[in-house]
Amino acid sequence: MATARAAEGPRTDAVTLRLAVGLLLFAPLSLLGNEIGAVFRYPEIGAAVLFPPYAILAAFLILSSPRDWVWYILLGAAAHFASHWPRWSMSWVLAADIANISRAATAAWLVKWRLGTRPRFENAGALLQFLAIGVVIAPAVGATIGAANVLAHGQGTFGHAWVAWFLSNAITGLTILPALTLCLQGDCRRAATRGRVLEAALLAIALVSTYGVAALLNGESAWRPALGLYAPIPILIWAALRFGVAGTSMALTVVTIGAIVAADRGIGPFQLASLDESILIVQLFVVLTSVPILCLASISAGRRAIVALHRGILASLHDQVAILDGRGLIIEVNDSWRREADLPAAEPVHRAHVGDSYREICRSVAERGSATAARLSAGLAGALSRASYHFETEYDLGEHCARYMICVESLAIPGGGAFVRRSDVTAHHEARMEAEEQRRQLSHLARVASLGQLSGALAHELNQPLASIGSNAEAAILLLNRPELDASEIAAILRDIVSENQRAAEVIRRLRAMLKRGETRLMPLDVEELVSEVLELAHAELITRRVKPIAIVPPGTSPVIGDRVQLQQVLLNLILNANEAMALVPASERKLVVLATQPADDSIQLSIRDSGPGIPPALMDRLFEPFVTTKSEGLGLGLSISRTIVAAHGGRLWAENNSDRGTTVHCLLRSAPGIAHDQRQRERRAGHERTPIVERTRTPIPAPLGGTSSAMSAAPPT
Amino acid sequence: MTPDTASPSESLRIAIVDDEQLVRVGLRRYCCALGMTAVAYAGGKELLDALSSAAAPPDCLLLDAHMPDMTGLDVQQQLRRVAAPFPTIVYSADDEPEARERYLAAGAAEYLRKPITGDDLVAAITRALGRSR
Repeated sequence: MATARAAEGPRTDAVTLRLAVGLLLFAPLSLLGNEIGAVFRYPEIGAAVLFPPYAILAAFLILSSPRDWVWYILLGAAAHFASHWPRWSMSWVLAADIANISRAATAAWLVKWRLGTRPRFENAGALLQFLAIGVVIAPAVGATIGAANVLAHGQGTFGHAWVAWFLSNAITGLTILPALTLCLQGDCRRAATRGRVLEAALLAIALVSTYGVAALLNGESAWRPALGLYAPIPILIWAALRFGVAGTSMALTVVTIGAIVAADRGIGPFQLASLDESILIVQLFVVLTSVPILCLASISAGRRAIVALHRGILASLHDQVAILDGRGLIIEVNDSWRREADLPAAEPVHRAHVGDSYREICRSVAERGSATAARLSAGLAGALSRASYHFETEYDLGEHCARYMICVESLAIPGGGAFVRRSDVTAHHEARMEAEEQRRQLSHLARVASLGQLSGALAHELNQPLASIGSNAEAAILLLNRPELDASEIAAILRDIVSENQRAAEVIRRLRAMLKRGETRLMPLDVEELVSEVLELAHAELITRRVKPIAIVPPGTSPVIGDRVQLQQVLLNLILNANEAMALVPASERKLVVLATQPADDSIQLSIRDSGPGIPPALMDRLFEPFVTTKSEGLGLGLSISRTIVAAHGGRLWAENNSDRGTTVHCLLRSAPGIAHDQRQRERRAGHERTPIVERTRTPIPAPLGGTSSAMSAAPPT
Repeated sequence: MTPDTASPSESLRIAIVDDEQLVRVGLRRYCCALGMTAVAYAGGKELLDALSSAAAPPDCLLLDAHMPDMTGLDVQQQLRRVAAPFPTIVYSADDEPEARERYLAAGAAEYLRKPITGDDLVAAITRALGRSR
């Protein structure tokens, strides 16, 4: 660019050099513009038909710093004088120069204010503002001074002169000013590829030819006006669609000069009674043609910029992206998608190109038995019909193969459509699996540690049936030695032995289940059974600590969704914590309540309340962090792991101190409301009597434990 | 709870206190098979109620240490307070070495670790009765 926006601040050598270059370019352009202006003018009032010096001065002022304006204005005035004096009187030239400077400065100041120091016309709004300033306001200012000058020199009426001056500068503002403003910013240079230069040359030849042919035709020929008036239109539209505002305004400049020359020589279509009238018609033709053509150019340039941005965004995406229309046809893909689709070994569901129906591809692959394609097909159908706005699924292409995630978003455009994004999530998936495996291992270790903590109690649990079996068997031996055999008593003994044997086996089964490392298996679990089994495991430990648990599971409670062993691990951990928390409380005040409530149809809340001393406020916020413990023994991993397990179940675990005493830990889990609790068949252990540990209640569900005026909570339920 | 009673025809009366039904039934059966009279109670409270209602005191008591509500130690303390005239044999699954000392210090005549064999039980009863006489 020839002139640059000068930095506000001390003038540097670079800024001075830029000014010098700008002035060097400005001087010849200004001289040439004045000569052109001098050639085409109204013979009577002397106003130019087209006055390039206005556009040249205005463009340089727009693109330079106001503190440099004085140099351009002085140089422009010198060029003006050189061209017009002494042909015209000093006062005339001076007044005409003042008119030009006022016009150009008005245009430059308003453009800088409204559109900044580097105006672009890639939207119609900016272009229309530019035209309002450069074609209406500034020429009106100049026309007023110019018409006053004409009037002062007694060369015509004010109105006639004002219209002539105004139109001449309006045309200049429509044609040369946008072209020069954009070219000086380097637009033409940036766009100059070989193909574009060739195309521009062809366009220029076509444009000049229309006037050439028109000039060669016989003056009587009906073709002449048609060629002069209409032939340039398609060429201008070509320029508008392909060369933006800069190219179009250059083409308009050529058309304007052609029309003026033709009118001047009497060879164009604009031959009316007087030259003044002919010139007026030429000016109106240019004004009426230029505005829509320039708007078209601006809209087209804006559209090209949006398309380029859109393509740029798509190309920069690492993910594979395809855009579908409302019927599911692929209308656009990015390079990443195209590369995958072009691979010789591409999966059938990935082999989709622009123009293909992605919906059809998924459907046909699904028909061949691909579950992934079936899911995708359903997701696509939902997005295209706008039944759902987002669908995503993960799939892999076989064992040890890449894993992909595909997202389908419904496009909110007329006619509908979808945005399909596919990403390779193999690394992410492997990391997730590894984290999951580590979590499982840690969770298993914690489970083993819990059972280790219970080892004494568990030995007791096993000793009970063994003791019973032992004494029953010895009683039977003694009875068998008696002379009279009491068969019914011996049968009763054997039944009890069998029952106790089952009980011992049950203890071992539960232990094995807890000790085993298994896959997570989510299923609906009976809440009462779940709580009951955990309390059975902790039974001996609770008795040792003289804690009598109360479990309340209201009738009709829906099953909870979860992995049996993992949820038992959480409950066992919470129950043992509560049990230990009450160690220093007198035995008669030790209360452990396990309450199941159903806050919503799809959730179950298990609350474990103790009557211990409560959790110290300083510890409450960190309670679920690893290695945080209130106990002298233990790693402090139990609650942290419990929360991880509950979170993996889509639930929440939090604690709060009760308003009276102790702590309640709440565990919110998903439930399976469709399955009626009472209809489910539960295995019931029979044969030995024990204090009922789970009681059903028909009383209203109590208020959330400790929830009414709890002093603090580790993570409030939100 | 109604105590499980055995044949009253034998001379030696044994009381059994255990919260586990099958354990106390097993012990009662064994004692009965040995020719004793055995009465089983589901908890310390039931035993103390029976003693206070002027039922004939047993010759020997078999007492489970681990019970809810009243533990074996609680029952021993209560018996000491009323100066019960019979020896107590405490049994539990505790494998801590100090468990035996704890119960003996509380007044138990004998301590047995579960599971109890018939021979151990007979020997313990014999020792306890011999000492009390």
